[in-house]
Amino acid sequence: MDLVEVRVSRLNVWIGGKHILKDVYLKASPGSVTAVMGPSGSGKSTLIRVINRLIDLVPGARVEGEVLLGGINALREDPYIVRRLTGMVFQEPNPFPHMTIYDNVAIGPKLHGLARSRRELDSIVEWALKKAHLWDEVKDRLHDYPYQLSGGQKQRLSLARALALKPRVLLLDEPTANIDPVSTTKIERSIMEYAKEAMATVLIVTHTPQQAARISDQILFIYQGRVVEYGPTRELVLHPKNSLTRKFLGGEV
Amino acid sequence: MDNTGKMPAGDRRLFYSLAPAAVISMGILVVMTVLFIYYSIPAVRVYGAKLITTSTWSPSEYGEPSYGLLIPILGTLISSIIAVVIALPLALSAVFFTEEVLPRSMGSVRSAFASLIEAMTGIPTIVYGLWGLMVLSPFLRDNVYQPLYRYLGFIPLFSCEPVTGSTILTAGILLSIMITPFIYAVVRQSYNQVPRTYKEAILALGATRYEYARILFGMIKPAILAGALIGFGRAAGETVAVALVVGNTFNPPTCILSPSYTVSALIANQFANAPLYPYMVNVLVLGGLILLVLGIISNILGVMYLARVRYVA
Repeated sequence: MDLVEVRVSRLNVWIGGKHILKDVYLKASPGSVTAVMGPSGSGKSTLIRVINRLIDLVPGARVEGEVLLGGINALREDPYIVRRLTGMVFQEPNPFPHMTIYDNVAIGPKLHGLARSRRELDSIVEWALKKAHLWDEVKDRLHDYPYQLSGGQKQRLSLARALALKPRVLLLDEPTANIDPVSTTKIERSIMEYAKEAMATVLIVTHTPQQAARISDQILFIYQGRVVEYGPTRELVLHPKNSLTRKFLGGEV
Repeated sequence: MDNTGKMPAGDRRLFYSLAPAAVISMGILVVMTVLFIYYSIPAVRVYGAKLITTSTWSPSEYGEPSYGLLIPILGTLISSIIAVVIALPLALSAVFFTEEVLPRSMGSVRSAFASLIEAMTGIPTIVYGLWGLMVLSPFLRDNVYQPLYRYLGFIPLFSCEPVTGSTILTAGILLSIMITPFIYAVVRQSYNQVPRTYKEAILALGATRYEYARILFGMIKPAILAGALIGFGRAAGETVAVALVVGNTFNPPTCILSPSYTVSALIANQFANAPLYPYMVNVLVLGGLILLVLGIISNILGVMYLARVRYVA
């Protein structure tokens, strides 16, 4: 199992001339969860999208700096290779509406030829749905379409779709922002388990300090595109050094 | 406005002033359909089902005329199906090209390209017809039909000698060029309406651009079907361009290299003389009714499919 450390340094991003990320840096190790925390509009989602090169889709975006995924220079490499290495879960649950629950999970392995037989594919799908703590709720209706699922179930399906490719780096962009508490708990558990079991590097964007405190090993607090404070979760939450961090933790920013 | 009470005076005025416009446009369709039915009844009374099940067309001023619409009906269906079969992949490739292959940085080139294709829907059909007659049909005869007949003549579809370039296949090919922009416009609109989050999700899986387009096309399959149906409806009703290149001959269109007929071309060519022959006007009106029904059905189905493109996030 190759371990992929994520290292970002001197990252600057402009979108349409606007300076979105300013000298951002971070180092996320395999097996750990890094929470990217900050108020909305601080550039958290942009940071995640630079790491898997979805930023390429944004018209007028300019990126400078360095993003290393293990030995790969993510900004120079073919975006398909970068995205193959990373998995992503978005803020809105977005299973493909025209595919069954099964196919939604199977699509990634199919695209990359990971399964040599139907049985192998079945077992990947089952594994991913179990990892996303969704299996028990959908195992009898794998061939239904996802529209009957609740929002939280859809989000766990999106997570299973990402996990099915066993990404070395898992990126989550406020995955529980619009999700019920039960699903939120399950998703948080999945994330922590996946990081440990697969020794994957997990980055989760969140705007709630509580979530960051619950699941992360380290926190990157960014405000208006700049790193304000960065450190181990316990330390940052209990003894914030910066007054902005204190305010944010207190719910004032 | 609540639905239980009466409309306020202002709304009522708006209702009464706008209702006629809506009623008139719907009414025209109803009146037209009724009229077509009314005028075709005499022919149906005399000839019955033979009108659409037989293929002899021999109008006669004296004696027993025979009006079989089977060949033109088949001609309409076959040329329209050929048109859709050719136009669909063309339109999808064009959407893929303008939306994905042309780089994002060339935004103005992309929109110019798209506008140009969509502007093709506005070209008068007689222009297509003249080009089809003068350029397309001789070209196809010499470079496509002759070889097809020579080497694949054992296939019934290509089993007749292409004496002229004016054939059912030429009509189909010309129609495909004419309906491609329509299908393109319908599909492109849906393609661009797919919410960004799905597009990101596909790419985040590491899909190549081709795989990405394939999944997106799958997502908007109802729109593709709708485009095909609307295109089919247009092809079936198209008259002038087809009349110029279809050959206007009562040959069975089962060999697509032979000149044949379509319902629309038959009406256009024969209506002027129709009053000279007993019941011929009524028969031609029946042909019109068939086209009307075909057009309405394919459009209603198309619109229904289009309404099925829904994204429940």
